Amino acid sequence: MGQCLRYQIHWEDLEEYQALTFLTRNEILCIHDTFLKLCPPGKYYKEATLTTDQVSSLPALRVNPFRDRICRVFSHNDVFSFEDVLGMASVFSEQACPSLKVEYAFRIYDFNENGFIDEEDLQRIVLRLLNSNDVSEDLLTDLTNHVLDESDLDNDNMLSFSEFEHAMAKAPDFMNTAGSNSICILVMLKVASRSLWVGLGELQMGHD
Amino acid sequence: MAFVLNVPETPEDLGSQEPSPCDESEVHHSFCQLIQEQSQWAAEEGLGLPSMGPGAGALGASGGHHQAFLGPEGATVYSSATLRILASMPSRTIGRSRGAIISQYYNRSVRLRRRASRPQLRVLGRSAWPSLRLYDLELDSVTLEEEEKRVLLVKELQGLAAAQQDHLLRGMPLSLAEKRCLREEARTPRGKPRLGRPGLLSCCSQLRYACALALHHLGLRLLSGLHALVPWHYALKRIGGQFGSSVLSYFLFLKTLLAFNALLLLPLLAFIVGPQAAFPPAPQGSAPAFTGRELLLGGGRFNDTVLYYGYYSNATLNQWCAGPLDGSQCAPEATSLPYNMPLAYLFTIGAAFFITCLTLVYSMSHSFGESYRVGSTLGAHAITVFCSWDHKVTQKWASRLQHDNIRTQLKELLAEWQLQRGPRSLCGRLRQLGLLGLVWLLCLGTTLGCTVAVYSFSEFLIESPVSANQEGLLLALPLVVCLLNLGAPYLYRGLAALERHDSPVLEVYVAICRNLILKMVILGILCYHWLGRRVDALQDQCWENFVGQELYRLMVMDFIFTLLDTLFGELVWRLISEKKLKRGKPEFDIARNVLELIHGQTLTWLGVLFAPLLPAVQILKLLLLFYVKKTSLMANCQAPRRPWRASHMSTVFISLLCFPSFLGAAIFLCYAVWQVKPSSLCGPFRTLDTMYEAGKVWVRHLERAGPGVSWLPWIHRYLVENTFPIYLVSALLLAVIYLNIQVVKGQRKVISLLKEQISNEGEDKIFLINKLHAVYERKERSRGGRTQEAVMPPADQRDAQ
Repeated sequence: MGQCLRYQIHWEDLEEYQALTFLTRNEILCIHDTFLKLCPPGKYYKEATLTTDQVSSLPALRVNPFRDRICRVFSHNDVFSFEDVLGMASVFSEQACPSLKVEYAFRIYDFNENGFIDEEDLQRIVLRLLNSNDVSEDLLTDLTNHVLDESDLDNDNMLSFSEFEHAMAKAPDFMNTAGSNSICILVMLKVASRSLWVGLGELQMGHD
Repeated sequence: MAFVLNVPETPEDLGSQEPSPCDESEVHHSFCQLIQEQSQWAAEEGLGLPSMGPGAGALGASGGHHQAFLGPEGATVYSSATLRILASMPSRTIGRSRGAIISQYYNRSVRLRRRASRPQLRVLGRSAWPSLRLYDLELDSVTLEEEEKRVLLVKELQGLAAAQQDHLLRGMPLSLAEKRCLREEARTPRGKPRLGRPGLLSCCSQLRYACALALHHLGLRLLSGLHALVPWHYALKRIGGQFGSSVLSYFLFLKTLLAFNALLLLPLLAFIVGPQAAFPPAPQGSAPAFTGRELLLGGGRFNDTVLYYGYYSNATLNQWCAGPLDGSQCAPEATSLPYNMPLAYLFTIGAAFFITCLTLVYSMSHSFGESYRVGSTLGAHAITVFCSWDHKVTQKWASRLQHDNIRTQLKELLAEWQLQRGPRSLCGRLRQLGLLGLVWLLCLGTTLGCTVAVYSFSEFLIESPVSANQEGLLLALPLVVCLLNLGAPYLYRGLAALERHDSPVLEVYVAICRNLILKMVILGILCYHWLGRRVDALQDQCWENFVGQELYRLMVMDFIFTLLDTLFGELVWRLISEKKLKRGKPEFDIARNVLELIHGQTLTWLGVLFAPLLPAVQILKLLLLFYVKKTSLMANCQAPRRPWRASHMSTVFISLLCFPSFLGAAIFLCYAVWQVKPSSLCGPFRTLDTMYEAGKVWVRHLERAGPGVSWLPWIHRYLVENTFPIYLVSALLLAVIYLNIQVVKGQRKVISLLKEQISNEGEDKIFLINKLHAVYERKERSRGGRTQEAVMPPADQRDAQ
């Protein structure tokens, strides 16, 4: 049984996990407990891994429509080590800072993993949210067009991370921002495309 | 454990799919190579690139080129080299790749350290607009390798305190293993020896952790229990899931009203009802027996109780010498605390109203702040799509509820946007306006008719006084008022069917407006009837008790009529509509129900001065109403057929509660306190000219009391009785409001300017990409043309990377 190897966790490791994640000590121990119950008995927790299916069947993720994406984003080589599970719990905990949540939310929503949320991604998000595959085409296209109209600022039909962050800034409970912060994010977006100008400038002047 | 994001190998050829920024090893590192080749080739060919101009002009000039590079199906096809450059652009790698994250955080911590230095503008000579701020995308003149950036980051971390290091690392979107490595590297050179405690935890630590785990489980269970205590939490979720957020907003408003009434009731109970109940006055005559009619009529047995104003004494309670207010000296007992009832009555009512006013204004501004953001009237779709899933949900039925809720929300959103009709002709618009004017005229005429009816009926009631055995006639006025309040909205709804509005939201607002005008005007007539006519008519009786009883009767009749309306308007109508008309269930009329709630609350606020326990009656009424309405909704109604978003409705409801309703009640209260002579037979103000005089008498008493409390009379004379401070405060308030408006205007302007710039830069980007593509194409063609054998293999090798 896992009984005798119940608390394999070292003191320093526990302190380190507590310092590096947004979880409290009790939560880390709880996760440790659950992890040991699921992994094959007798194995040291640092070497044990869980498959994506095992993690997907955890109560926290069982009914989440995005569980496959979540597992994909937080796992390495399709398996979860203990630290991966901790990382996932940390991002989803209540104390996590909103910027971290936005960061991972972007990765989760990027279904085709091209670094952008494009129309295909948006359609898949909506299908997952509605939990059915028989959604009218009109609804899907309408919705994706509206989302892109609202959030796509540089008109490339995709949402980059900055645009996503800016859109999330408007949600009152997602990020606690006032109007002035949205200006900062807009400036960031603008500056992002500046590098192209520099590149072309070098190109034109034959600059080495 | 290496941090590697698994990117599936796409079966499509590289030419039509941009490489993911996760393929870091394949990223083209700099422009240098490309530029070298280009300049070389340009020198050879003598080809001059056209001069760059920002934006659309140049884009138009290169339009011809743009067309030529459209691949099959109109999709732009970029060469692999261009794709590699694109993949390494900062906008595509912010937070995406490990190198970019590390570089970003390095820059951030450097900036934290070097706060004084300003960003360099010389690099940005090419930009169309001078920058406002440079964020963490400083353009390093030297593009460092990832390892070097990592070393720099570690050095930066070492410069921070341990807590700050941890804080920075916690917020970084890297895997835990990566963070541990960084932390280790940042910590070790500092010379702190790692506490070596190898092996498993000792027994007592194990025990500690077992206790901690058990406590944690207990805490979780308590929290979930607490969640269940929040009133109606699950019921509200069900309603929201099945009927949408608009119907839910009605029930949330009901809950808010409950809170307001509780807030009003507490000081009244503590400072007025409690002390008076503890020291009851001497009974005047025998109390009549309790018959059931008191619940309806409010008189009889209830007359001489804490429910009404007349019961309260005008003396100082708990003082053993019975003396009037103007302080005859008598020695109070050592243990008693004298309680000045009139003063307490006046101040408590005033304080309760003041607190309610503050809470109302605060909640109105709070909900306004939540539903309105600078420069973001849109954005609801994105937020709904990205933020609406509550990841805490763990039960299957709860997730099904969420799916339903989201589906309804999305449909509501889209329905709002599907109101794009073609532009109507002038004739049609004129006709529409004429129809609108006619309907408004009819509605206002109906309101006038109702007002005149109530006025004449009230005058008739004054002319013919009611004798003791005809108490049922006391219900006549409330009955007439409630009937008019019930019938007129149906008439308005019928008239509104004539005019066809574009948006359902506008329809609802117009209906609310009309109903509100009717209710407020009728209440105004009633207030005039009470304070103007009844006071004169009941000179030698306790008119305050009468007014209190009238308001109680109105409230009870209002409740009865609401129940009847629910019964007939929803249940019977559903039966008729399903069996006879075959039309399906009726819709839940939100506007009418909300206005009924506001009307009831206005009655409570009007009556508090004359019947301090009226908020308790209102609380009971609201509790019963919630369950009745919920049951009727679930059984008889369906979700609104034209769903509309209720995001601003709660703001509107609270504003309506504040402005006509609370303001009217406050005006009524002020007039009653300052201008009307209280009756001389009953109540705490029987010997005074106005109710406010109790305060004045007390201030004079304080003035005589001595110099110790002289600041209070001073405040009273110069700040309360003087009008100048009010002007000053109003002027300050106006100035603050004006400043805020200007700030918001400025922010909105800046945001629109920046958005314009961003879309311009987006166009620039497209132009540049096409230019790059053109350059490469030319290069490939010329290379291919020049030497086929010598150049092709290296080009192949480079492309095949």
